[in-house]
This record gives sequence, C-alpha cells and structure tokens, in this order.
Amino acid sequence: MLKKGWLVIICIILLTGCWDQRNFKNVKLVLTAGFDLMEDGQINTTVSLPTILRSSDGAGQERIQVVSAIGRTPRDTRDKIDRKISNSFAASKLEVLLVGEELAKQDLYPPLDVFYRDPRSNLNAKIAVVKGEASEAIRLKIEQESRISKYLGGLLQAMENTTHSPGENLQLICAEMFEPGQDFVLPLLRVNEEASLIEYDGLALFNERSYTGKDLDQEEAVLMMLLNGQKGKTARMTFKVREDGKQRIMNYATIHVYRSNSRINVTTSGSNVTADIKLHMRVDVIEYPKNHLETVKEVKKIKKELKKQLTQKSEEIFAKLKDTNSDVFGIGRRVAAYYPDVWKQLDKKNYLENVTFNPDIEIVIQQHGIIN
Amino acid sequence: MGFFRKIFQTGEGQQEKASGPSVKEPQQPSFLKLSANIDYLTKALKNSSDLKVRILNDGKAALLYYESLADQEKLQKKIFSQIESGRWEEVLDLPHGKHTENLEEALKTLLTGHAVYVQEGSTTLTQFEVTSQFNRSVEEPINERVVRGSHEGFVENVMININLIRKRLMHRDLTFQYFRVGKKTNTNIVLAFMDGIADPNIIEQVTNRIKSVTSDAIFSPGYMEEFIEDAPFSPFPQMMSTERPDRAVANLMDGRVLLMAEGSPTALVLPVTFFMFYQSPDDYNSRWISGTFIRLIRLMSFIIAIGLPAFYIAIIGFHYEVLPDDLILPVKGSINEIAYPPIVEALIMVIIVELIRESGIRLPQPIGQTIGIVGGLVIGDAVVQAGLISNLMVIVVALTAIASFVVPSYELSTTLRILTFPLIFFAGTLGFVGIVFGMLFILIHLCKLESFGTPYFAPVAPLRIKDLKDTFVRLPLFWLDKRPKDAKPVKSKAIGESREWTKIERQQKRK
Repeated sequence: MLKKGWLVIICIILLTGCWDQRNFKNVKLVLTAGFDLMEDGQINTTVSLPTILRSSDGAGQERIQVVSAIGRTPRDTRDKIDRKISNSFAASKLEVLLVGEELAKQDLYPPLDVFYRDPRSNLNAKIAVVKGEASEAIRLKIEQESRISKYLGGLLQAMENTTHSPGENLQLICAEMFEPGQDFVLPLLRVNEEASLIEYDGLALFNERSYTGKDLDQEEAVLMMLLNGQKGKTARMTFKVREDGKQRIMNYATIHVYRSNSRINVTTSGSNVTADIKLHMRVDVIEYPKNHLETVKEVKKIKKELKKQLTQKSEEIFAKLKDTNSDVFGIGRRVAAYYPDVWKQLDKKNYLENVTFNPDIEIVIQQHGIIN
Repeated sequence: MGFFRKIFQTGEGQQEKASGPSVKEPQQPSFLKLSANIDYLTKALKNSSDLKVRILNDGKAALLYYESLADQEKLQKKIFSQIESGRWEEVLDLPHGKHTENLEEALKTLLTGHAVYVQEGSTTLTQFEVTSQFNRSVEEPINERVVRGSHEGFVENVMININLIRKRLMHRDLTFQYFRVGKKTNTNIVLAFMDGIADPNIIEQVTNRIKSVTSDAIFSPGYMEEFIEDAPFSPFPQMMSTERPDRAVANLMDGRVLLMAEGSPTALVLPVTFFMFYQSPDDYNSRWISGTFIRLIRLMSFIIAIGLPAFYIAIIGFHYEVLPDDLILPVKGSINEIAYPPIVEALIMVIIVELIRESGIRLPQPIGQTIGIVGGLVIGDAVVQAGLISNLMVIVVALTAIASFVVPSYELSTTLRILTFPLIFFAGTLGFVGIVFGMLFILIHLCKLESFGTPYFAPVAPLRIKDLKDTFVRLPLFWLDKRPKDAKPVKSKAIGESREWTKIERQQKRK
C-alpha cells in the first residue's frame, strides 16, 4: 500500500509538473485597449503593449508596441492580435478601456461581454469614451509620457479626484447598464492632435446602454457630481459674480467646495414625479481678483449671486438630462423603490421628461483665504 | 506502516531488550595476593599504556591510576603529603580513601579517574578521588546571546552546570536524578525538575524512556533526543536545547524537565510547545512593549521563512493578476528574460544560500567572513547580471534566509529552511491552492504532534486564551500569574498579588 502511495505522489508531482502554470514572463501585457466601430459593423481593436528590456541596474528601457486588428467580435480581434505578437495576449491587467464615439452610440454591452465572461479580466479597469476614434488616442505618441496607459489612467484618476467624473469602471457600469431606473455617465476624452495631448472634455450622457451623443461640459460635470453627492477629493468652480470690474479678470470668483451634502427626495402625485434635490455646500473662496472681501455685506452679495447662478446652471443640467432621458440621479430607481405602483405606469423609455426637478442650493462661505 | 513494521519487527530485538536491564553488576572479590590483584586489573584494562602501576613500600603495595585521568598534584596532596606529615601510619587509614573488596568496582572507579591502592596481604582496595578536570569558563554561549541579562552559559562539566542552576534556584524542591546511559560510554545523564511543580507523570515517562535506551554510546543530549522523543519522523524539534542557565531555570519554574549530559554544555528542555522556540530571555529582560513587538516580528518571520519563496513562485507562475498595477511592469521587466521557470530559479537560489551558510559555518572566522562576502555579494550580483536569476528572486530568497535566522533556536531555524522546499514544490505545481494545501499539512501536523504527552501547538490548539498572554505577545510579568498549562504543572499559581502597593499609595495620597 505504502509503496503504491509513494508512487502515486511522485507521479502526481513529476508527471503533471507545472500543468496549469501561466508564466508571467510568457505573456504580453495589454494595459490599454480601445474599441471602434467600423463602417461595415465590424470591430476594430487597438491595444498598446509595453515591453521592458532588462537592464542590470534599475528599471529597464521601455518600448511600446501598438497593434490593431479588425474582426467580427472583440474576442475575434483579440485572437487576431495574438497572431501578430510574440508571447500570448493577456488582458488581465488592463488599466484603461477606451470606446470610440460611434461604438458607444450603439449598445455598449455587446463589446464588453468578453470582459464580463472571462474570470481573469480586470473589471477594475477604467472606461472612457473618446470623441472620434479610440485608436487615435492609443496611437498618439506623447514624448513626455512613457506609456499611454499610465497617461490615460492618471488623467482619469485626476478627473475623479477633482469631481469631474464619477470614476466608473467595468464592474460599476455593468449593473447600471441593466438597470432601467438608473443611467450612467462616462468621461469623454478628446484627442488634441496639434498639441499631441488627450483632453478631458466633459461627461458623456448614457441612456440605458448607449451614448446619447449629448455631453455635460466640464463645469456642468462638477455641479452634476455635487448634486449627485459624488464629491471627489476637491471640487472647484469659477463664476462671474459681477459686471463692474475694471479688468475682465476682476469679475470672477473661484470657490472650493469644502464640504457638500446632497439629498434627493422623490415624491409623486398621481403619475407626476417630483424630485427635490437639496444641496448644501460649505465653500471657501480661493480666488477673488477684485479683492476686498472683508465686509459681511460683500460676502453676502457674492453668496447670493453664487446661489442664483448655481440654481440656474442646475436647471440647465436637468434640461439636458430630460432631453436625453439619461437618469444619472437614479430618479427611476427611487420611484421604483418607494412608489412601485407609479413606476409600473411610467414609460420606462421616456419617464424623465415628465419629472419635475426642484433644486434647492444653499451655500455657506466659511473662508476666504488667509488674506481679506 | 504495517509493511515497515513487519520488516523491522523481528523476534530478536525483543529478546535483547528483555535481557538488557536485568544484567547484574559483575562481582569479583579481591585477592589476598598483591600480584594477583594487579594482574586482574591490568588484564581487565587491556594493559593500556596510560595505566600507571606505582610500586610502593619495596613491592609490598601498589598504586594504580590512569595518568591521563589522574591529577598528579591531587595525588601528591591526598596521599603522599598526608603520609609524610606523619599523622597517618598507613595509606589504608587515610580518611579520603573509600574501601572496597570488589575488584570490578575498583575497575569502574579507575575509569572515572580514581587512584586505587592495593596492599600485599589485604583484600581491601582503597580508592582516592584524584580526577583532573579541565574546565572551560562559564562564558556566554555564542548561539544564544542576549543584550541584557546573564552572560553565563553551561559548560561541559555537568557538576558545574548543576551548580549554576542551584545558585539560581535555591529551593529544596529542586531535584536532580542521575542516570548512566550508554553501555560503553557510560555517560552520566542528569534529569532536573522542580518537585511539586513538574508533572510526576511526565517525570515517570522520561525516566522510563531514558532507562529503556540500550545504545552502546550516548555522546550528547542531541543523541539522547532521538531515542526518547515522541515523533522522530517529524521535522519539528520536540525538545528545546539551551546553553543558558537562566533559560533553564525559567523552564524549570514552568514545571518543565531538564535533561543534561556529562560532556555537553547543552541542556534539553521538555516538554515544549512550538511557541517556546520563539521566546527569548531578551523578551523578559526588556520592557514588555518592546518585548511584544520583537516577538511579533519573530512570529512573522516564521511565515516569511517558510512561505515567501512559495508565494512569489505562485504569483509569477500562476496568478500575476494579484500584482498591483504600478508594480506589474517593473516585475515583468526583471523576469522577462530569465531562462528558467520560477521554481527552478528558486531552488537554485535557495541551495546557493544553504551552500554559503554551510561552508561559512565551519570555517575559521576570518575565512568565514570572506566566504560570506564572496557568496552573498559577488554571486548574488553576478547571478543577476548574467540573467540566470531575477533580482526579485534574489531579494525573496535573501529575505527568507534572514527570516529563518530570526528564530532564537537553531534547531527550529533548520526546520524552517527545510520546510521551504515542499512549499516551493506545492506552489510550483498548484499555485496558491498548493500553498494552502502545504500550509494545511503543516498545521495539521503541528496540531497532532505531542511532546511527552503534552500538546505541541498549545496554547493555540488546544486553545487556551489565558496562555496567549505569553505567546504572540508578552504582557507585563505581573499579569502572567499562572504557569502555562501545556506542561501540566501541579501548582499553577506562579505570582501572587505583587502590585498592591499602587492602591495603598493612591490611598495615602488621597489622605
């Protein structure tokens, strides 16, 4: 018995060997990938593959290879790319996924299906929409940045920190794609060929699973995020608070949101839905070129002006949302939760049109810097 | 196991065992004739050249001794000076002399360094203790150094060792028992324990096991260890060796038993638990917060020492997804062009480290250092430059080697380094799952292991919350008022109320 036992153990170790091994050195890492829609409905996948050449001391030299392939499905294009590169294609450490504008305008789920189905894919990868073609962004040569993935990842992270984008990743948008009462926004990027840079260009509004083609601009994005209670590490906004400055610069004030608190309250009467959005902000005035902000009267005046403008701006945001039926605030979900009967009656496609938004914005200026 | 038992269990062994302990002490009455006595003794001692026969009183008496064992000065002082002083007429009358009429007994004492005086016409043999002793001073043992506390260490003479213990533990309950083990070597084994604290069952068990050893030679406690331990096939040491009297005394006071042998400075402590190997006298000499911190680091080193190479192999070979985003390209860069799979890489590096250690350990110190530098710096650097092994693997293996030496006990440190290998294989075949399996085997074994009938993995399994106070952490001494239960002490209370003065002083202040 014992002899047989040893034989079995030795066989298990020696014969199976490293059967399941997936050696890290034998893979080609894909850190950034982009999907575009071709005119005939095929998918064009572009990936950037970094290779580090070993050096005896310190970090080695880095080389980037950009490969693209056209195929029927994303998996098909992956296989095609795999045939063009050394080692095997590994998307499990993907950092950024870019989606071209045209592809985003169609249903977004089908191209992402490959990520959700594979247990090894990195669902933590950041996702963004590119105006024009995603491949352009990936092919962009930026001298100062070693890797496009690091550049894009850093850019998106920074936008998240400054309350410009909600920091969506593959995992987070998945639930929202299938949820009728809740929609999402993705950061919108634009390639600036002349300066050879990629710029953040606001938020792309999605309805259900597809890009509506309408965006929130950068300033609207910040306010929308604050209204939705998604403040990042910092949030800053600049407003024109007066008309009488000697120079143009003197008309403006920049506020830094120190603490914000938003509460969305949904009520119904019949099939009419009303959403009261209460935003309370404590702000610091961090730039006021005109100076002389020492009197209470002056502060009050600015405060009043800010409130007026914020309310006006949020009305504009609501109008845009209603127009595209992009329920970023999750009003539908709240209705479904609190008033299921009303939700049953509502038209799931266009319910946002009939929702009345009542913004109530209150600000407290608690500091105006270390000078008056 | 039945297979092996059948092979090794022949009737022969049992017969010999049965006849072993019942052998009677040989007797040989001495003769009246001097020459007959001398002839018997010299013949029995095979005419060894260092056996000196000094003829005295014109051939009417003789003094026999091993010149290699006897101290000439003692001989002079104990016998000849006494006679010369005129106070005693005959050597036979000398008060130091021990009389016997048994030649076999005289033979034995001769071998321990006594001188035997034989006289014509008398059957009385007089033995004088003139053994010469060469003792090392009680220096600090090099493998158990401490920063604070006693710097004394045991030496090769067991009497001096007992003296060191008795000086520290002046209580009548401290008991020593002598055993003669080894048919040819006749080694003196000493069992020490605190009567009234140590568990009598354990003492009985140890006594029985020592008595049943019928080996021809017992050289050291390490030799003894394998004869009496519970599971000789386990990688874990089931007795703790120490060369420190303070450590020995502390263990005696916990109700443990000490085993010492003539000719060896090492004392064996038993029964032991796994966590005892991670305790050092330093913990108790320093403040309890720092003691706790250092002990936590030591226990962490256990995980690093056995698991780090396996963990690294599992990541590189199976689950590179767990690497953080910022680390992935540097890691990839360093392993991209390594020729071997990670498991081979790890084995090469671990074996290189073991080679360096083993070669350095026995060389004279200046050369040992050179080997350390050549091995550590030159090979470590060159092997990375040549692209044989990635620099990360060098870091991992070096860290593992350092972590294995953090354990205060040398035996356990060897065990740890050996346990690395199966885990490397497990990780190389199954990745993280393999590590889980390997760790599981080790844990199961630790839970099952016993040291003289006491649980080895106590106080974790079986769990005893109270004893955890001195396991992962070292709480203030006045809280450690009960002895750990694993050694089954008869008397469990160790410390009474000792900090009552704080209350009294507070009351006085209030007044």
